[in-house]
Amino acid sequence: MVGLLLASAIGTSALAADKRPPLPTYMQAYTPTTVDERGIWMEADEDERRLRESRSVIRDTALNAYVRGVLCRTVGDDRCKSVRIYIDEIPAFNATMSPNGTLTVWSGLLLRVRNEAELGSILGHEFGHFELRHSLMDFKNRRGGSDLMAWASILVRNSGDIRYNTIGGFYAFDRAQEREADMMGFQYLTRSRYPSSASADVWDHLMGEADATAIGRKGRAQHKYVAGFFASHPTNLARATYLRAASIEAADVKPAVVDTHQAAMAKWLPVFLNDQIKLNDFGGSEYLLANLAEGSGWTTPLLCARGDLYRERGNPRDLVSAAQFYQEAIGKGDAPPEAYRGLGLALLRSQQVAEGQAALATYLRLKPAATDAALIATLIS
Amino acid sequence: MITLCRATLVALMLAVSAIAPAYAQEKTGLKPGFVLAPGTARIVLMRPSIRVGAQSTGGMYEPNADWTDQAKENIATALAKAQTGLGNSVVGYVEPVGAGSAKVAEYQELFGAVASSVIEYQFFKGNRLPTKKRKDQFEWGLGPDVRTLPGLEAADYALFITTEDHFGSTGRKVLQVFAAMARVPITAGVHKGFAGLVDLRTGELVWLNADMQMGGDVRDAEGADKRVRQLLEGFPGKPVEAPIAAAPAIASAH
Repeated sequence: MVGLLLASAIGTSALAADKRPPLPTYMQAYTPTTVDERGIWMEADEDERRLRESRSVIRDTALNAYVRGVLCRTVGDDRCKSVRIYIDEIPAFNATMSPNGTLTVWSGLLLRVRNEAELGSILGHEFGHFELRHSLMDFKNRRGGSDLMAWASILVRNSGDIRYNTIGGFYAFDRAQEREADMMGFQYLTRSRYPSSASADVWDHLMGEADATAIGRKGRAQHKYVAGFFASHPTNLARATYLRAASIEAADVKPAVVDTHQAAMAKWLPVFLNDQIKLNDFGGSEYLLANLAEGSGWTTPLLCARGDLYRERGNPRDLVSAAQFYQEAIGKGDAPPEAYRGLGLALLRSQQVAEGQAALATYLRLKPAATDAALIATLIS
Repeated sequence: MITLCRATLVALMLAVSAIAPAYAQEKTGLKPGFVLAPGTARIVLMRPSIRVGAQSTGGMYEPNADWTDQAKENIATALAKAQTGLGNSVVGYVEPVGAGSAKVAEYQELFGAVASSVIEYQFFKGNRLPTKKRKDQFEWGLGPDVRTLPGLEAADYALFITTEDHFGSTGRKVLQVFAAMARVPITAGVHKGFAGLVDLRTGELVWLNADMQMGGDVRDAEGADKRVRQLLEGFPGKPVEAPIAAAPAIASAH
């Protein structure tokens, strides 16, 4: 009896020690009831119909299963099941959530996160939007604001200030929602097996990439803490700061998990890297490659992509570097035929004709049915 | 910077609150010489796009699921009734499941894009393309591959229908009255729609009817009848119009 009491006392004290705010109550197969919410769900259903048929959606079962697995391990098995996940091949960092639970993950996001925990922090953020029904709140806020502006424009002599403040209010409201979703995602992450510090890491790396892009384009690298008037999200610096503070406060020490991110991405990494290289963002892509190599070392796909990146910039020194990267990739033994094509083209442009033609011949021998075979053949003869 | 923002805001507000109906009219385009004799063609009705909702005081579209459901039902009934007046059999399209569905979705989108191009660049003055100014011409199409859509092998024509309604809310109507007193023109409600007929053998758009101020409340049966009547105005090959259309018989080499 005493033991039981003691146990329950420990239980209560353990509960009291948990200072984390409770998660919202989860309701399975939630169905909207009000006119507004049913309306925006209907629109979202139509949008999802279109998205489902989209050509840019990646339907690879394994990759989809991986993303779903990370979502489930972040927000919990009960919550994640109702979500439909669509991986869209768009080389930029983004994910979106519709009011009806349609989660769209852009391929650029998968390329940038370095482990499951970072991906989980973003998916948790998006799920937070869904769970907190942010689209509905935003719709109502905008309607209220636009009503006010319409009346003000007719009834008030100089309504400029009212309208200015209302429009500013729309964006401030959006930023507040994003921050709320950030903290919601953080709450999921602290309760999951993943370290909560990953949520701030994502933004640190994004800032690093933005700096590299700016420098690469001869711009000025700068980050602001305060968001602009029309900003829909808090600045990356603000997000990194408050999420880092939260993770220091949470101080969660968790056993290391076996991370499957690299394995899950293996098949798609060359595809996503290729999309990234085509963005003509030398600084950002170079940062991204180095960031990925920090986790996995310079693997063959990373070396090939780096070769492509340098070859496309095409300064004489870049062509020499590109050839070296391709040769390193080939030296690893698992290079795709395209590495020989890249090597050949880089060497040809460096006026090393014989070596270049030899590499191109190897490419054609390894991949005779390549779509550009006829064109490459003209470079050899 | 701030003044710039304000100028933008004022421009934005004007755009939102005082859209004068610049092209508030209806228009029909028919491929010259096109004749559809009654009882000769099999027409397939593609999944109509129907959106019904309210318009808030500030002019925002508020989608309404109940009204949309009612409208879908009413318009389907009205179409079934109107079918007898079209002179040819109209059957609903059975959407394929699996590989073909993406292609169908693409063509639905393509039709929407072509139809809005016709409306924007040929039907109404203002933004008309120089090449579309000549009278009696109607040259638009979806490409001949439209016939490869699954389930359309036995069909001759595809009929596409789109309607969109934003019913002015009470707040919007009250605002309209006050605005009229302040001599600011404000519209309440958006009711637009278009219907088009595509020749499945050639992919040509043979007929398109667009109306930016449609009548008929699609939320009830009678209104839907009226809406469908207006959507199908000028539909080629109606029995009543057949004698007139039959005149240029040489042109019907089609």
